[in-house]
Amino acid sequence: MSALKQVCARLISLFRREALDREFDEEAQSHLDLAVEDHVRRGIPEAEARRLARIQFGAVEASKDAHRDSRGLPWLEDCLYDLRFALRQLRRDRAFTLTAIVTLALALGLNVTVFAVMNTMLFRGYPLVQRNDRLVYIQEQYPSGTCCITYLDFEDWRAQAHSFEGMAFVGEKNISLSYGEGRSTDATAFTVSTNVFGLLGVKPALGRDFVPADEASGAEPVVILNHRFWASQFGGRPDVIGTSVLVNKAPAIVIGVMPEGFDFPTQFDVWMPYMRGPDVNRRAPEMFQAVGRLRDGVSLQEARAELETINHRLETAYPATNRGVVPKMGTYSQANIGPDAPVIYGSLWMAAWFVLLIACANLANLTVARTVGRWRDFSIRMALGAGWGRMIRQIFVESLTLASVAGVLGWWITKWGVRAWAVETASIYQILDYTLDSGTLAYLVAISLAAAILFSLAPMGKVLQIGVNSALKSDAPGVTPGLRGKHLAAVLVAGQMALAIVLLSGAGVLVRSLMNVVSANTGVGNPENVLVGLLSFPSEKYPSPAATLGYIDRFEAKLRAIPGIGDESVASILPVGNVLGLTFEIEGRPNAPDGGEAVQFLRVGPDYFRVVEAPASSGRDFNDGDRMATLPVAIVNQSFAAKYWPREQPLGKRLRYIDRNKPAEWLTVVGVVPNIMQGDPTRRQFKPLVYQPFRQAPTRLGVNFLLRTRVPPEQVAQAVRLDIQKLDPDVILKKFTTLKASFGFDPDRMDRAHSEMGKYAAVAPIFAVMAVLLAAVGLYAVIAHSVRQRTKEIGVRMAIGAAAEDIRRMVLRAGMLPVAIGIILGLAASFAVNRILQSQLVGVSPYDPVTMAGAPVVLILVALLACQIPARRAMSVDPAVALRHD
Amino acid sequence: MPDSKLDLLQGTLDLMVLQTLDAMGPLHGYGIARRIEQLSGNEVLLNQGTIYASLVRLQQRRWIAAEWGVSDNNRKAKFYSITQAGKRQMKKDKSQWERLAAVMGRVLAAAAEGGKG
Repeated sequence: MSALKQVCARLISLFRREALDREFDEEAQSHLDLAVEDHVRRGIPEAEARRLARIQFGAVEASKDAHRDSRGLPWLEDCLYDLRFALRQLRRDRAFTLTAIVTLALALGLNVTVFAVMNTMLFRGYPLVQRNDRLVYIQEQYPSGTCCITYLDFEDWRAQAHSFEGMAFVGEKNISLSYGEGRSTDATAFTVSTNVFGLLGVKPALGRDFVPADEASGAEPVVILNHRFWASQFGGRPDVIGTSVLVNKAPAIVIGVMPEGFDFPTQFDVWMPYMRGPDVNRRAPEMFQAVGRLRDGVSLQEARAELETINHRLETAYPATNRGVVPKMGTYSQANIGPDAPVIYGSLWMAAWFVLLIACANLANLTVARTVGRWRDFSIRMALGAGWGRMIRQIFVESLTLASVAGVLGWWITKWGVRAWAVETASIYQILDYTLDSGTLAYLVAISLAAAILFSLAPMGKVLQIGVNSALKSDAPGVTPGLRGKHLAAVLVAGQMALAIVLLSGAGVLVRSLMNVVSANTGVGNPENVLVGLLSFPSEKYPSPAATLGYIDRFEAKLRAIPGIGDESVASILPVGNVLGLTFEIEGRPNAPDGGEAVQFLRVGPDYFRVVEAPASSGRDFNDGDRMATLPVAIVNQSFAAKYWPREQPLGKRLRYIDRNKPAEWLTVVGVVPNIMQGDPTRRQFKPLVYQPFRQAPTRLGVNFLLRTRVPPEQVAQAVRLDIQKLDPDVILKKFTTLKASFGFDPDRMDRAHSEMGKYAAVAPIFAVMAVLLAAVGLYAVIAHSVRQRTKEIGVRMAIGAAAEDIRRMVLRAGMLPVAIGIILGLAASFAVNRILQSQLVGVSPYDPVTMAGAPVVLILVALLACQIPARRAMSVDPAVALRHD
Repeated sequence: MPDSKLDLLQGTLDLMVLQTLDAMGPLHGYGIARRIEQLSGNEVLLNQGTIYASLVRLQQRRWIAAEWGVSDNNRKAKFYSITQAGKRQMKKDKSQWERLAAVMGRVLAAAAEGGKG
């Protein structure tokens, strides 16, 4: 206890140094006065008494020092002294300080931003959920693709699997919700097992959680609201708990509101217990996904193996429905971002470290230059008896001061960077928790410290070379201490250039890959002149397909009246988009027992192929005559015809798809159209497609429209928007843009793995640009410093007849040699590093010759520029002045 | 005067100061230094100034309190007095010292006898 008090008292005394010193002086004076008086009283003459008192007291300064040491913290005071000295030095050398801090802050900020994003993407998972790392997300892979799960399969897993503490499922449903005085809105709901929130470890902010009785058949229907939905629709009123709302016109009680910021598994509006319908005894995929919490000590692989075993049993027991159905499970990042997430975010992190290393090399070069500049200062202190330890501490305190300031700025950059990333990549399908936690802060502190150590090593080594003798001998001004300093600078420059090349070539192939995807041939002619949008129909007002079709009739009549609009059509999905394939069979060709292959079935209106400029190559287009009552027809694309009827005439053939094990009607093929890109996220391959007339198979709640414009689309966009508003204000227009723009990367539209790829390719150039800029600044600083140091030498050369051009060549040679070495090393490293990008590249080799040739050219040009400025300064040296140069 | 002062064990001087203040009541630095010099026969203090490092240390531990006041002859001086915590500490340290001194005395006496025999 008293030890703690003493530490506090000692700390406080540091800040009251002057006052305490003054008090000591007063006390010492009073001591002497008392002593003199004492002696005088004993008969000693006053002069002698004074002398005696002083002798007895001892050296006042020594006592004062002892007083300070015992009241304060001597080592801390020394450090504070070093810090004050460092601050003074740094203030004096503003250009150096500013360059160093900005460089380091940018590199630190970038690094921590990537760390925070990576942490979120790979490990953090859903906000508010407890122990995310033990949660796994499960879907099933069917012959037609991976999508959902079958309720009965889930029941079997839950009953039989021992790897899980618990398992819950989530289904999705569009509902209409009415409340209050006849107010109604469309909402998206998750139908969940009632244990879901307990499994996640999240409690409602208001009201109660679901209980098992809520999902029993005949139970009173209940809902729990998403906080966002509660705030926007119910005005955040707490008395909403216990009130009755209408879900699809049936009453349900609001029992709870989840906490703010909680979304699971995507941004939907309400959760309600899953009520088993009459269909539940059929094994058909209908649930969105299952989520399981792994039992302690059980690995992901063990759990996966167990589920696979269960599915094998189900395959044998229910061959008709479960043949080839495989469970797919993974952690948050595997399920929501894709299997390549570690590669993507890991390599971004590596890139951020490269940038930080380049920045450290810059700082090492700058501090070495400064150390050399203070050579005399160091030598004198050394001669006066300062130890190496003391000087090394001085250098380190300076580095640490720089790193601390840079770290604080870096934290702001990180906050801004993470925010920018979160906004740019926001998707309703990726619920992510980007809050910066203490772990991120600890990481920032750790790498700032690491950077400070890293870039003080070189100047520390430099100081160790100072011997008292040599220091004083080579004290002549303008003489530099040996060549080793220059070699070190060249090595650092070469290293920076090598790292910059690796980043440039990595970013280069990623960008080329992205360009390949964005500019791929989609089969659509002039997509920049097509306006597209998604119409979303409220289910209350448009309960049947007929109602939707009625609206579309009115919509088409209205839009065609707008001047400047040419052909118009509707589609269930736009070109390039993806829908889940359906298994199908061709008449007279029985399917293999595993259910056959899957292709995408798209529904399009008449004139669709005119709008996308891909007119039927044989047969006919859909027309207004293709309606519910007429012969069900289909159009296939050339890829389909080539694959399934290679040497036959497709027209007149019949095919049908199989939905939930039930064959649909036969469709007669009436036309063959050119290939249009659909369902391949990398846009390399035209897949076989079947089109159906929209009126024979309408989609009800969301319909895309396409308008080809004869004038620039922005001229008619406003008129289209107004007409849709006028036609029915309840129909919501979403994603209104041009078809060309819709081909860009959209996290909500792309499949997950490839939208990650898009972010990746968009971010990588930032790293490359920073790397090149920092390396160029570093090179400039080194060359400029060496020109300054060699002013006298250059003067001598000029005096004995060197031309300005010779000087320039000399400076450029000195600068470009390490650049050339660095580029060669960097290219070699690129061949090794780029291989890990392979999985992310579309249509471009990781060793793409264009990139591999382009990156060095860019770097050489930038390096030449960086050398040019000091070279010019060297050329303008006046020999007369230089020789007198001190 | 001896050639060298006694090397003091950590805290010895502190205990002497506490003991002095306990016995004499409030006293200024000069008074404490004089008193210790008198009692120890000039064996302890290198010089009077060293007393102040000890005084500030004791003060930080709240074992003594200090206050500016006026001496008998109307001189301004800082007066130190022992606190309750200081008294407790002094008792502890004293018994510690007495035990140590007793043990040392026995050991050294035994060694001397052994050496003789």
